[in-house]
Amino acid sequence: MAERNKLYYSTHEAHNALDRVDVELLRVKSASAHDYGDTPSSPNYPPVFRAGGSRLKQFDESQVGSRIMSQSATPPRSVVGIGGRVAKPDYSEAKIVLAMVGLPARGKSYLSNKLMRYLQWLEYDVKVFNVGQLRRSRARQKREQGINENHSADYFSNDNREATRSREQLAQDSLEMLIEWLKAGGNVGIHDATNSTKERRTKIKERVEREKGIVVIFLESVCDDPAVIAANVALKVSSGDPDYKDMSPETAEADFLRRIQAYEKVYETITEPDLSYLRIKNVGAQVSVCRIHGYLQSRIAFYLMNLHLKPRSIFVSRHGESQFNVEGKIGGDAPLSERGLAYAKQLPNLIKDNIGDASLTVWTSTLQRTIQTAENLPYHKLTWKSLDELDAGVCDGMTYEEIEHAYPEDFVNRDEDKFNYRYRGGESYRDVVVRLEPVIMELERQENILIIGHQAILRCLYAYFHNLPQADLPYIKIPLHTVIKLTPKAYGCDEERYTLPIGAVDTHRPKPKSTQLVIPPSVSRRQYYADSETK
Amino acid sequence: MVAPLYTTASGLLFHAGKILVVTVGLPARGKTHISRALERYLRWAGVKTTVISLGDYRRKTIGGAQRLPPDYFTLGEKTTDTEALRKKCLEGCEQLIWDFFKDGQVVIYDANNGTAGQRRRVAEKFASAGIHVIFLESICDDPSIIERNIRSVKISSPDVQSSRLQWQYRGWNPDKAVEDYYRRIKDHEKNYEPVEELDWPHIRIINVGEKILVNAIQGYLQSRIIFFLMNIHNRPRTIYFARSGHSLIEHSYKADADLSDVGWEYAEKLRDFVLERREKSLKQRGIDPKGSRLAIWTSARRRAHHTAWPFIQAADPKNPGGPRCNVRVIEKPQMSEINPGVWDGLTPEQARKYYPQEWERFVKDPYSFRAPRAESYHDLSVRLEPTLIELERQQEDLLIIGHASVIRCLLAYLIGLPASEIPAIEVARGDLYEVVPASYGVESHALHFWDGPGRRHDADHPHELTPDGTPNQNNFYENYAEDTRGKRKATMTEEDAEAIRNAQHPLDGGSSPEPTPMTSHGQATPAST
Repeated sequence: MAERNKLYYSTHEAHNALDRVDVELLRVKSASAHDYGDTPSSPNYPPVFRAGGSRLKQFDESQVGSRIMSQSATPPRSVVGIGGRVAKPDYSEAKIVLAMVGLPARGKSYLSNKLMRYLQWLEYDVKVFNVGQLRRSRARQKREQGINENHSADYFSNDNREATRSREQLAQDSLEMLIEWLKAGGNVGIHDATNSTKERRTKIKERVEREKGIVVIFLESVCDDPAVIAANVALKVSSGDPDYKDMSPETAEADFLRRIQAYEKVYETITEPDLSYLRIKNVGAQVSVCRIHGYLQSRIAFYLMNLHLKPRSIFVSRHGESQFNVEGKIGGDAPLSERGLAYAKQLPNLIKDNIGDASLTVWTSTLQRTIQTAENLPYHKLTWKSLDELDAGVCDGMTYEEIEHAYPEDFVNRDEDKFNYRYRGGESYRDVVVRLEPVIMELERQENILIIGHQAILRCLYAYFHNLPQADLPYIKIPLHTVIKLTPKAYGCDEERYTLPIGAVDTHRPKPKSTQLVIPPSVSRRQYYADSETK
Repeated sequence: MVAPLYTTASGLLFHAGKILVVTVGLPARGKTHISRALERYLRWAGVKTTVISLGDYRRKTIGGAQRLPPDYFTLGEKTTDTEALRKKCLEGCEQLIWDFFKDGQVVIYDANNGTAGQRRRVAEKFASAGIHVIFLESICDDPSIIERNIRSVKISSPDVQSSRLQWQYRGWNPDKAVEDYYRRIKDHEKNYEPVEELDWPHIRIINVGEKILVNAIQGYLQSRIIFFLMNIHNRPRTIYFARSGHSLIEHSYKADADLSDVGWEYAEKLRDFVLERREKSLKQRGIDPKGSRLAIWTSARRRAHHTAWPFIQAADPKNPGGPRCNVRVIEKPQMSEINPGVWDGLTPEQARKYYPQEWERFVKDPYSFRAPRAESYHDLSVRLEPTLIELERQQEDLLIIGHASVIRCLLAYLIGLPASEIPAIEVARGDLYEVVPASYGVESHALHFWDGPGRRHDADHPHELTPDGTPNQNNFYENYAEDTRGKRKATMTEEDAEAIRNAQHPLDGGSSPEPTPMTSHGQATPAST
């Protein structure tokens, strides 16, 4: 630890002094660092370019500009200041209909929600078109007009010709809405329905083939584990499904089982040789991939192959309060403060109280404040470079006040679009999301995990688990000295927060000039009505 | 998470146990191409992997076809001698597999394995020892792919190492040779039984990656293998690499400086050179260069993105005479150069001076040492892994405009160099690296197209100012990871280094006199300054 502490040094003064010495040399066109000789006061060497010093500004001003920049009609972006906004990657070529296939209570909605969260987090435009939701919404509208439809198991029987026609119609309407939405700019539309017959699937395939640039893949969810099915049935019956609003749980369950039987009678597993499909057995236990090509499609397949249903929790905590937190500085690799050390000391008990003897793996970043925080935890620990804090580039090691002072305009710019703002020589939140993708994949495979991380990193991970929009992501509150326990559930994540009574500075900066972010209540419940038609 | 040098005590990764991948397929169906690609990827991921080829073993131990009894490949009854010879060959080859499994993790058994009986025998034998067996079947229903395979791989491959039949067909009329080869594999076709036994995990690849079917595959490493196989193809293409142009501040990661005048000049030279070179090679292949798009990937660093700028200008339809090329430029933030951490802005000399202990550890192990707050090459490899998959996927010709450290990692993957060699690869500004995926690996060349300030490190004048105080045109501070020459482990003697410098890479067969074959470390390409 002693060696590590040595690397922490505050070099602001030394740095400014160097700035004064070297101003002259900046006149050299290709400005470069020079051999400063020994600086006795500091054995190590301060960063040469950063927003707080004068060198960066002088460098920007000294640029005569490049030849081409002045000639070109559309010059490249100028390179000054502490950063700039970055555009979203172009996903416009990705247009996929993902049609679910499977009996009720086989985890179709679970898979489609999960996939939606993953792809949305990667900034694909994804929407689930759930036929059941559409059916309920429409039935509710009719009910309001005084027409009561019977949606008990009889409705789902193939012998009920009128209902079958009505269900057909619903599935078709839902597909049309989906295609419309894709054409308007969506990337992946998930058609969440049983699509249980070959005839139905052929219709979908033929319909989509008429659209240029849109492809369809089928995702069949098969489940032969009675425990999983029973759990899904119980969830369906107990979770307030409006279809079973006025029924006792027993009647509801009986009705739901009859509904499943009705589907089983006509259900045909995918054997069509020309379909592009994925078949998932027992949620990720076994995956078949057929005729899947395309990059996004292979990503989807790989993601689904890594899912599992074992109950587990993901604990996340920021490192204990660091010296830099106390000084109000961002970035750096500072050790913990006194209070931070106290947090590190008490953390093991908190975790132990929560999981007992269950196994757990601890992930930290490579920065010493997370390693120190994890020091007393008696579990297997892994260090991840990908978990390092967002790189603030030229602003690393400065306070927000200093940055604002040095570059007031840029500072306002960043506040306006924090997710897209890339620090010069550093990263944006978007870059961090890209870098965290393999971490998410690994998290999906693992069981109990405790991540000791950093504010921006945990915001990105948290947004994945709660499906929060990118614009809100940089403002999620992840206070110091708090453990957040996330437990994946069928339709989202349950959350508990445990704050240790050890004081810490508040490092949260609210979104300026805007209403306070309202984080939507974590949706770990199923949604029963379609979005547009919900009241 | 996949990356080289990810080691465990058992030597096995991902809790996957040992895996035997048994290839299944008729000759000329791309089995070897797929096997080699998979081997390269898994090795890069740190998994101890090898391909064991029955054909190679037979040729090595018994000899070529003319030394085999005439009934060796034919159907029906064989003489006892032939049976014994075949048995000996199989057993010897299987022994190689057992030997590798002593401390290796994945063996790809490259043979036809065309009948259910043959496959079952192999699978049961190895499964009973606790090894996971996967059938990897390669099927082609596109005759043009088969013919291309026969022509390029089996008959006229210029790649000496990889040719199998070339020597037999030397001097033949190519069409006659193809005809003869078809006749030879006809018997196999009659005998072939596609994998229908569903009791073994099975991957079927159709037309080298066009379609893929997977049965009963479980496990993380296995899912990685599938993800990889889903993204490969063997359509002809070229991948080019070039460093970004010279920037206003060469040595600072954080300053993210724009191109200097010299840099813009470089960018134009690069454009002209790439377009010209590509036009020539496309015309040779009978493709219209204007219609065929060139993808350009740059990092999100300004100097890299701006080096692609002349291409965008040239592609502008408003140009007098129309667009010169068809390009698509994509900025990839994962391709930034190695982050130098606290060493940012320092020359190697300064880093050594101010961080003596860290520097010492760095030179001992330049691949895995991570300077304070910096990235190691290992970290960089982890970061680049998703890019590799996209690179495999890419069908158009691709130009990567990047940084020395990034180019090193990607080249090492494509050429199949071990991780420890990555930091030592020389990547000079002004060289275009041209990599053409071939049947058994890649053909790679370094093409020199530009001379100017900052092309290479000037050992005599390691500082920016020459002793008389004038700016040293030929040296720009390059940090420890971005300099042209790369870093070699300190334990290596000068003789070792010399030997490596002089050795051509095995994958570089005879090449035309114009391009310089790449070496893993290359003083071999003296600049003509």
